Amino acid sequence: MKGKSMTAFAFRSLGIYMPDRAVKVSELPELDVLTDVQRQVCADLGIDEIRADDSMSTTDLAAMAARDALAGAGLEAADLDGLVLIESRAPHTLLSSEPARLQALLGANRAVTFSVGGLGCASVGPGLITARGLLAGDQDLHNVLVLHGSKPATPARYRHPVTVNGDGGVAVIAGRTGRIRVLDIIQESNGEYWDLFGVEYRDRPFARWREECADPMAYSFRLAIETRNRVTDLHRRILDRNKMRAGDVAVHLAHNLSQGALRFTEEVLDVTMAPACRDNLRQFGHLGAADVLVNLHSELAAGRIGEGQRALLLTVSPAAAWSLLLIEIGEERTI
Amino acid sequence: MQTQEQLHEFLTTSIGEPLGLDDDYFELGLVNSLFALELIKFVEHRFGITIEVADLDLDHFRTINRLSDFVAAKTDTVSRP
Repeated sequence: MKGKSMTAFAFRSLGIYMPDRAVKVSELPELDVLTDVQRQVCADLGIDEIRADDSMSTTDLAAMAARDALAGAGLEAADLDGLVLIESRAPHTLLSSEPARLQALLGANRAVTFSVGGLGCASVGPGLITARGLLAGDQDLHNVLVLHGSKPATPARYRHPVTVNGDGGVAVIAGRTGRIRVLDIIQESNGEYWDLFGVEYRDRPFARWREECADPMAYSFRLAIETRNRVTDLHRRILDRNKMRAGDVAVHLAHNLSQGALRFTEEVLDVTMAPACRDNLRQFGHLGAADVLVNLHSELAAGRIGEGQRALLLTVSPAAAWSLLLIEIGEERTI
Repeated sequence: MQTQEQLHEFLTTSIGEPLGLDDDYFELGLVNSLFALELIKFVEHRFGITIEVADLDLDHFRTINRLSDFVAAKTDTVSRP
């Protein structure tokens, strides 16, 4: 079926976890060493506070979200057939296996277990594409957990000129039955930007790790305009191949980088982002690959996505990668 | 109004600061992605040109004078048969 998208699958449940401890962005210690322009950029992001708990690792955050998702689906960890970890940006230790640690923490002993990622906040795409592939490729697999715990790779929370990173976790139990049906996923990347952001670490202690943008002007200009062109094209393609028009999608969700980034996406697509995006940006900051799913969770919890309505989830990563996810809310049924 | 004047009006209004014709507003740290989008949209709509990824050399855009030259080159290309 040339041009037709893939087999649909569903979210049996969607779980999140946010640490209790909130930190005001205006009180972040790294602001003291910024220039006036940098400090103003940070203040204009639209992020008031973040959740930050230094006692929790990314695997702890992901595990808490997974328990929320399992409870939502009425499942035990032993019922999981797959565990797909969307990897963290900086593993706690090298050589060891974070997905296997989560398998043990949760007790998902039967689950096919591994990690995917490599695209920053757009890694939600690979996670869900992998779940879709597992479900389509093996009829013995029914419940695939996709999960992510988000923490910054460095001690500093502010990533100039982009965002402030918070702590949080998200987990999806993907299956063939569920109210949240994933109709399509579309993803692209441009490898030329692979090292636009990076953290040098081999020659320095953790306290000196910094997220560095190799070329802020390339980020603010070239990548922004390429994003305009890519996102416009991907939006048209995902609608076309699902035989929809823009008006057929009721809810638009994006990742939480800044209020400027949200306005940017709104202008590019000529849409209005759902309220959860700005609300969560303000109270949680950026949660990497967890962002769009946390926003979806908030919209669903607020009852702002009705039966039969569709939502488009957009993620852009400075990696540079672009991901669109088209979902539909409906009665629980097998796909 | 000349191209240069139109660009000057748009940029000073958008940035909210006085700008000389050769001031590099990228180096001044005044450019974010939203501003870049607005700038490209303004140039495309006002001067009837399409800016492709291949045109995104920062040197075309970093000052009012350079941007004016870029617009002149593009409109010259567009208007030629």
